[in-house]
Amino acid sequence: MSLVHTTIQLSEVVEVHPSLIPVINRFGIRLGLGDRTVKDICLEHNLDEDFFLTVINTFLNEGYFPEKKLQTFHTSLIVDYLTKTNAYYSRFQLPNIERHLSSFISMSSDNNPSLALIGKFFNSFKDELLNRIEQDEKNWFPHCLDLNNKLKARAELIHLTESESMDDSIEALLYDLKNILIKHISGSYNENLCYAVIFSLTSLEKDIKQHNRIRYRILEPMVKAMEKLCL
Amino acid sequence: MESTKQISIILDNTLVKEGLCAILNNYFAPIHIKQYAHLNEILAAENESTDYYITSSEAFTVDIDFFLPRRHKTLLLMQHAATPLPQNSAHAIQSIACNSTVEEIIEQLQTLFNRDTHTTQTEPNKGLSSREIEVLQLVVKGFINKEIADKLSISLNTVLSHRKNITGKLGIKTVSGLTYYAIMNGILTSDDIES
Repeated sequence: MSLVHTTIQLSEVVEVHPSLIPVINRFGIRLGLGDRTVKDICLEHNLDEDFFLTVINTFLNEGYFPEKKLQTFHTSLIVDYLTKTNAYYSRFQLPNIERHLSSFISMSSDNNPSLALIGKFFNSFKDELLNRIEQDEKNWFPHCLDLNNKLKARAELIHLTESESMDDSIEALLYDLKNILIKHISGSYNENLCYAVIFSLTSLEKDIKQHNRIRYRILEPMVKAMEKLCL
Repeated sequence: MESTKQISIILDNTLVKEGLCAILNNYFAPIHIKQYAHLNEILAAENESTDYYITSSEAFTVDIDFFLPRRHKTLLLMQHAATPLPQNSAHAIQSIACNSTVEEIIEQLQTLFNRDTHTTQTEPNKGLSSREIEVLQLVVKGFINKEIADKLSISLNTVLSHRKNITGKLGIKTVSGLTYYAIMNGILTSDDIES
């Protein structure tokens, strides 16, 4: 897929990839895009054009991840974006899945005990995700910003070490949840509502994958490098 | 899970190589492609994990000793379709011409991938063996691999390979996922699990 660039109309991109809508919302951009270009919109919302495009492009292309470029962005931009993705998960995506799931469980026949178990499994996933979000907000993100402020005065160059790929437990739980439905569901159940659940899980999965790529491959190595400098 | 095909492309023409990769990725994912300019790069790195080779007729002729035993999993890229190789069914090496249409190329690739090679035959997704069920029960009850090895009097490596097979067969990676699978399938009751 070709990369989105500054002179393209944002509406054209969103038309083909509606999954971008929550992503642009995070930047404060709302629909009613008209025929304004990416450049116009960034100016209007006072956004860092480069950062905005990089986020959009990494979201759309799983294979595209310019680490070097991302690492040049200001820590606060990255933390701010991750904070907004977290807010989106806890305020919208989790409740949305929950809504689908509870009607899926209640509308399917009541003598299918496996559905209640799926509901329980979702709850344990939800707890884990909410817990991570809380830790981010209370500890990790403030820590990142704090380090960044300390170093600002010294204007030193950060040298990043290669980060090893992380096996993320949140991603793994989400994967299992989806696979239990797809591969192992049995007994009678409501097909349409099941699809709605899987669809909403899939869109959360896509979002979390991008969040995690930024988290583990950009922010984490940046923080480690800053910690070394502060010692 | 379907096993990912490993494809090695040995070509010195970057554009052709990239074009081929694009077609493969578009129509045959999930695949894993490794690109080489010359065969000696493969020989240096290879641990014989490649399922299919794609190369040019020139490279094939130069390194015929390497490719001939692997001809069933090799696809030749010809400049033009005009001069087909003599194709005796038994020794036939599949080829595609660079000037074929995309549709023809896709069809040739499908034929190649549908051929039986020894390496790609994966076990059909059978249920768990009784040993795997035992391991699963212990995993879900919260025992660590070392304890499971002791309890079943098997080696740690055997436990690890059972766990790998369980994950492969069920498509479930996490302990919580396995727990729900076990309860849903009556392998355990929820009372067996301390909450």
